Amino acid sequence: MNARLLLQTWRWQRVRLLVIVVAAIGWGSLFPIFYSAFSDALRSLANAGTIPKELFNFGSGSLFTLPGALTLGLEHPISLAMLGVFAVGATTGAIAGERQRGTLEVLLARPISRRTLYITVAVALLAVIGLVLAAILAGMAIGAATQGLLNQIDLGQLPLVFANGLLLWGAFAAFGLATSVSFDRTGPALGLTMAYVLLNYFLEILGSLLTDAAWTQKYSLFHHFQPGQILTGKADALDFFILAVAVVIPVVYALIAFPRRDLAAPS
Amino acid sequence: MESSSPAPVIATRDLTKHYGKVEALTGLTLGVRPGEVFGFLGPNGAGKSTLIRTLLGFLHPTAGEATVLGLDVVRESVEIRGRTGYLPGGIALYDSLSGGDVLDYLADLQGQEPIRRGELCDRLQMTGTVLKRKVRDYSRGMRQKIGVIQALQHDPELAILDEPTEGLDPLMQHAFYGILEDLGHEGRTVFFSSHVLSEVERVCDRVAIIRAGRLMALHDVGELLARRRRRVTLRWTGAAPDLTNIPGLEDVVVRGDRMIGTLSGHVAPFVRAIASPNLEDLTIEPARLEEAFLEYYAEDGGPTESAAGDAPEAAETTG
Repeated sequence: MNARLLLQTWRWQRVRLLVIVVAAIGWGSLFPIFYSAFSDALRSLANAGTIPKELFNFGSGSLFTLPGALTLGLEHPISLAMLGVFAVGATTGAIAGERQRGTLEVLLARPISRRTLYITVAVALLAVIGLVLAAILAGMAIGAATQGLLNQIDLGQLPLVFANGLLLWGAFAAFGLATSVSFDRTGPALGLTMAYVLLNYFLEILGSLLTDAAWTQKYSLFHHFQPGQILTGKADALDFFILAVAVVIPVVYALIAFPRRDLAAPS
Repeated sequence: MESSSPAPVIATRDLTKHYGKVEALTGLTLGVRPGEVFGFLGPNGAGKSTLIRTLLGFLHPTAGEATVLGLDVVRESVEIRGRTGYLPGGIALYDSLSGGDVLDYLADLQGQEPIRRGELCDRLQMTGTVLKRKVRDYSRGMRQKIGVIQALQHDPELAILDEPTEGLDPLMQHAFYGILEDLGHEGRTVFFSSHVLSEVERVCDRVAIIRAGRLMALHDVGELLARRRRRVTLRWTGAAPDLTNIPGLEDVVVRGDRMIGTLSGHVAPFVRAIASPNLEDLTIEPARLEEAFLEYYAEDGGPTESAAGDAPEAAETTG
């Protein structure tokens, strides 16, 4: 890993990281507030059959328990967008973007191997993703504290939730970086990674909304992100294992493919 | 005692690079000596950048082998780049950084002190004020100057420069040639590509020509220029000088008080022969490398124009 490159990668991201971290704390704090304010009313609506229950169980979340509400918050499209800025946008642009701009060869003219470059960028972006995820979780803890709901979650489980989330978004980031080392332009890398994330999201949401399609959930990486279960002390090691495999496969691919690629002159 | 020539700084043997069916380089064998300023010439798309990128490990050879500073270009490219300064053709820089920040960043990544930066900035007129401006506000020439500085600021053993004068105005080209001359005098090895023959004659010790991925010629510049036939013009008053039996003088045409001809080889016998109080004017046009090459090819039945036209343009851009 190259320390100077690591610092510079963080430096490129610092402004949007600051904005998103602040937004993430605010966003995370909203879910305990929503839960506190609307949970009973929504439960009544669901029990009365006015609104189908499935709509309150979006993804693996639920508005009827605090851990469920927090899960819903972590799988909400806005959370996805916050994390996706880095796990999809920054990763796909990290190598392919440098190629597209022509700066990759200036970088690789230094005594830096392609594997070092890849590992440095991967570590830098994983740390950034971790920071955003931590900001959302911190916001949720703050929100729960302000609503007097801390007794409904086990704060000691938050590091495990963080690890679970980092594996999920790490898997997407690893996929993004794998596409980034494979293309000379950001467009195809971004498109492919977006499709990968959206496919996973679609399978998860489809399975959660339609009972007949519940089987699709197990094929979604999102389904193995289970903050609700973890916060109630029911973490499943298999979820962690599956996500870890989803991280390792693209990482291994990138470490093999990137050094073997021909980097022709930028057109 | 038997003397052995020093190991070449760059050595390729039967180096071949194909992109699918496109032959970007075919069986290229050449050696660059230590302390040499070596010009690598060829039309656009001839394979110059492909060779450079292969030497630096950006591309992997299809066949053959190459070493730089005694290191294998495939297995030891990181070590090569640690001892080399590289200017890519049409360099791209980080637009959001200032010129000075770019140089600092790249020097940090190089892991060596930029001991030549001050001198290079002075010679290329990159003042402190200019270096504080963002790269996005730079002209093409200023970007190229930053490119030259970043390649040479750490005083590398070997400089590999791809079309280094591209975008530089004549004044800066002159300054750049001065830098190359000094590097040569200091024993640094410089390998640079160009598609302009006249660009290399001033600074290069040897020059290679590549066309369609094949090495067409490899010459000592001095020898090549010495072979060149110079155009001479004489003007006199009174009696015409005796122009018979002057070694190397050919194609003589006398019109009144003026003679035009071509002269090959050394000029001393010619100057001695024409020395006379009647001599009013003498012009000997300097030998141009471009013409020397054209003559060389004409004499040796070198490559035809169509061969140059066959150069695979895509070879330098196809990934």
